[in-house]
Amino acid sequence: MGCGVTKSNQFHKHPVKAIRAAVLIQQWYRQYVARMEMRRRYTWHIFQSIEYSGEQAQIKLYNFLGYLMDNFTPSSNERNLISHIFRENEVCRDAEWERHFCYKNIEVPEIYSGPHLCFPLTVEQAVNMVEAFRNKKQLHSRYVLQLLLETWKLLRMLPNISRISTCHSKEITICGDLHGQLEDLLLIFYKNGMPSLEKPYVFNGDFVDRGKDSIEILLILFAFLLVYPTEVHLNRGNHEDHIINLRYGFTKEVLTKYKMHGKRILKLLQKIFSWLPLATVIDQKVLVLHGGISDSTDLGVLARVDRHTYVSALRPPKKKKQQSSTGTSIDSDMDEDWANQRLFQRRASLTCPKLTVSRDGFLNRSLQDFSDRLKGNVVEGELKHCQQRATLVRLGSLRVEKESHASPDSVASDDAKEEWKQILDLLWSDPMSQDGCIPNELRGGGCYWGPDVTEDFLTRHNMQLIVRSHECKQDGYEFCHNRKVLTLFSASNYYDVGSNRGAYVKLGPDLVPYVVQYQASSMTRELTARQSVGQTERSALKVLREQLFSHKSDLICAFKTFDCDNTGVVSATDWATAVESVMRLGLPWRMLRSQLVSSKRSDGLIDYQQWFNELAIKGANADHIDQCLLETLYRHRSTVETIFRIVDTNNSGFISPSDFRQTWKLLSAYLKMEITDEAISELAVAIDSNRDGAIDIDEFMEAFRLTDKKSRLERGRSMFMATAPDLTALDQDDERV
Amino acid sequence: MAPKKDPKAPVKKAEPAAAPAPAAAAAPAPAPAAKTPAVDLSSVKIQFSADQLEDYKEAFGLFDRVGDNKVAYNQIADIMRALGQNPTNKDVTKLLGSPSAEEMANKRVTFEGFLPMLQTIVNSPNKAGFEDYVEGLRVFDKEGNGTVMGAELRIVLSTLGERLNEQEIDALMAGQEDENGCINYEAFVKHIMSV
Repeated sequence: MGCGVTKSNQFHKHPVKAIRAAVLIQQWYRQYVARMEMRRRYTWHIFQSIEYSGEQAQIKLYNFLGYLMDNFTPSSNERNLISHIFRENEVCRDAEWERHFCYKNIEVPEIYSGPHLCFPLTVEQAVNMVEAFRNKKQLHSRYVLQLLLETWKLLRMLPNISRISTCHSKEITICGDLHGQLEDLLLIFYKNGMPSLEKPYVFNGDFVDRGKDSIEILLILFAFLLVYPTEVHLNRGNHEDHIINLRYGFTKEVLTKYKMHGKRILKLLQKIFSWLPLATVIDQKVLVLHGGISDSTDLGVLARVDRHTYVSALRPPKKKKQQSSTGTSIDSDMDEDWANQRLFQRRASLTCPKLTVSRDGFLNRSLQDFSDRLKGNVVEGELKHCQQRATLVRLGSLRVEKESHASPDSVASDDAKEEWKQILDLLWSDPMSQDGCIPNELRGGGCYWGPDVTEDFLTRHNMQLIVRSHECKQDGYEFCHNRKVLTLFSASNYYDVGSNRGAYVKLGPDLVPYVVQYQASSMTRELTARQSVGQTERSALKVLREQLFSHKSDLICAFKTFDCDNTGVVSATDWATAVESVMRLGLPWRMLRSQLVSSKRSDGLIDYQQWFNELAIKGANADHIDQCLLETLYRHRSTVETIFRIVDTNNSGFISPSDFRQTWKLLSAYLKMEITDEAISELAVAIDSNRDGAIDIDEFMEAFRLTDKKSRLERGRSMFMATAPDLTALDQDDERV
Repeated sequence: MAPKKDPKAPVKKAEPAAAPAPAAAAAPAPAPAAKTPAVDLSSVKIQFSADQLEDYKEAFGLFDRVGDNKVAYNQIADIMRALGQNPTNKDVTKLLGSPSAEEMANKRVTFEGFLPMLQTIVNSPNKAGFEDYVEGLRVFDKEGNGTVMGAELRIVLSTLGERLNEQEIDALMAGQEDENGCINYEAFVKHIMSV
C-alpha cells in the first residue's frame, strides 16, 4: 500500500470521521445500485412484454390468414393474395427438388470477391468463410444454394432427437439463441474455438431473425455441420419458421441481400428448417431443446413424428386422410384452426404471474367474429381449464360433432393434434416458478411449465438436466426449478446495447454445466453501467411511448371513465389503472409515470389531452389522413408491413395499385377498421409513387412514420449494430448521458 | 506494520460508531433505537399517504421474483434503497431481528409486513445532504485543495464501514479520476447525487 504513511495520519486524526465518510459513500452507492437495478428491471419488463406481444400478434395474424384461406372462396382476390404462403410444396420428388433449386446455372462473376466453395466442404473452407463474413463479405447465391442443398441432404438423414456423448473426455459446448448476431458467434468461436473433432457443439435454435446477419450465421452453422456431421448438432427453434420470419426480419434480410435468388433460397430454407432435429440428448441424461416441455411431453412420441411435415410449427400438416369423399377438407381444417385459435386466445398475463388480467383486445373480437359464423358450441369459459390435454379432448369431441359424417379420422386427428402440441410445446414453452402447466397465452404458443413438471419429466425419462433457450436473460443464463432447468441465451445486447450478456455452456463427462459469459461490441465497454442502463431505458421508453400513442383512442375512453366531470385531468392512481386496463402489459406504470408524462402539474393530477400532445407522432404526409386511421396503422405497423410483404409475391418491394386496394380490404377486415375506398386512394396519393403507380412498401412505411429506424424491436434491425455516430445521434435527445 | 494496525483500531470502534455516525447531523434520539436488539414492528404507526402506499406496492411487486406477493429478507434493504431510503445493511439486519444467513435467503415477508420496516427507516433521521458528503470526503483531502486521491478512497471504501468489493468500487469511481489519479470531490458528490 503505497501511500500508507499518509493514510495512517488521516486515520489517527479523524478515525470517526473517516468511518463516517466511508459509510456515507457506501450507503449512497448501495442506494444507487438498487435504484439502477429497479430501472433495469422495468426496462427489461417493457422490452419483454412488447417482444412477446409481438410474437403473439404474429401468431394471431397467421391464424387469421389461415382462417381466410379456409373460408374465402378459392377465386376470391383476398385469398389469392396470400394463398402462396400456405401452398403445399408442389414438387414432391427429390430429383425434382434438386432441379428446382439447381445452382449449376448460376454464374459467379469474376468480380466476386467473396469466398468460393468447393464440395465436399473442408474445414479450411469453413474457416475461410467465417473469416470472409467477419470482413463483411457476402457468399454468392450459387454457393448458398449449393451449401443449402448439401445441408438439406444431410439433415434428412438425421433423427428427430440427436443422441451424443461426452465420451473420450470431450467437452460439449452448447449455445443458445443467436438471432442473427454474427458478432456474438464470432466471439464464441474466439473464446471457445471453432467446432472440430475435439470440440463438439450443440446450437439450440433461433439462429435467425432480429439481428442483421441471420443468413451468415446459418451458412456458418451449416458449413460446420457438413464438415463435422457427428460433432455439430442443431436444434430447431421457434424462429426457424417462415411465418415468424416474415415479421421478424429474416425474410427481408435474405431478399435484400439476394435480390435475384432470394426467393428460392427462402423456399429451400423452409424445407431445411422443417428438417432440423427437434432436440439433442447428451449421455442420456441431459436434454437440450429450444423452448421447453409441458406435462404431456413424451420423447417417445417426439422421436417418431414426421418432423419435416411441420413446415411451420404454427400450422399442423394437412392430413391425407381428410381428402376423403365425404365431407370437405376445407371444413375440417377450418374447425381445427378455429379450435386451435381458441387454444391460443389470450387470457391471464403470465409475465407477472401475480397479475391476472383478462385481455380482450380487438383481435379477440375478430376471432369472436369468426366463431359467430361457425355457430360454435364451445364457449370461452369452457376453455379456461389449465389442462391442455382436457382441452384437446374437448376439441376432439367438438370436431366429431362438427363433421357431418362419422369419421374414423377423429382418433387419428386427435393423435395428430397431440403430436402437433408436442412440437409446439417443445419450441415455445417457458418455465414458471409455480407448479403446474398452463397455456402460454403471452406468446401465443406452447405452455408455462412448473418445477413439478420438470421433476416428473426428468424422473420418467431418467434424466438430470434440461438445457433450453428461448428467453433472454440479463446474465446470458439462468438456472431454475432447483437447478434442473438451465436457460441459455447467446445473443448479447439483445434488447439494446448493454442490456444483457450472452453465455454458452460447456458440459464434460461429469455433466456439470460450466457457464461462460461474454458481451459483444466494443461500444458496451465504453459505456459505464449507468450509461448503458440509461440508454436501454431511453430506448424502452421510446418504444413504450409509441405504443401508448397508438392506443390513444382507447386510452382517452379509459380516462374519461375516471373523469366523469370532464375536467380533463385524472389522478396519478387513476391514470395508472386506466393505462394498464388498455395496454395490458403488466408494467409498473406509477414508477414509469415520471418518465412518460413530462408536464407536471402542481396538484399532482395529469392532464391527459396535454399528455397526448406530448406523445404525438406526426407523419410527413399524414395531415390529411384521418387521425384515427393513422393511429390504427401505427399501432399495427408490423402487421401492416407483414401483410404487404406477403402480398408482394415476387418480393420486389412493390405492390400494384390493385393489390394495394385488396390488401387494405384484408387489413380492414383483420383490424376491424372501416376504410373507405376514398381513404385508400388518399393513402396511395400520399406516397410519391413514381413507378407506374406501383407502391413502394418501404416508402409507404416511411411516409407515415410507421418505421422507426432506432427501434430495434419491431423491425428486426439491430440498433446494436449501429455505428458510433448513429449512437451519438441517439443521445442528442437527452443531454444527460 | 503501522498501516495495517491502524485500520483495525477504527474497525473495532465501528460498532458503536456506525450508529451515531448517520445521526451526527441531528439529535442523538436514534442512538438508543439502534442499540436495542430488535425493533418492535407491530407498534410502528404507518404514516404513508395512499399515493405513497400505491407507489411502494408497485415497487414491492417488481422485486417479487416468485409470484407469492412476498419478498425475501435479503431483498428488503434493496427495496428500501430503490424507494429512496439509505439504510446500512446493519440497520436492516437489526430491523429483521438479526436473522441467520439462511433465514435471510429463505424467509419471506408480505407487503403489509414490509411497511412497518420501511416506516422505521423513514423515521430515523439519517438523511445526508450534499454538505455531509462533501464534509465526509474532505477528511481525505490532505492538501486541502478540493481533491482526494482515488487510490486512497478505494482503500477506505474497501476496508472501512460496510465494505464495498473491488467491482463495486470500480463501478462507483468509473471515469472520476483525472490523469493524476485525483478526484475533485465536490464534483464527485454532485455527480453521485444527480443520478
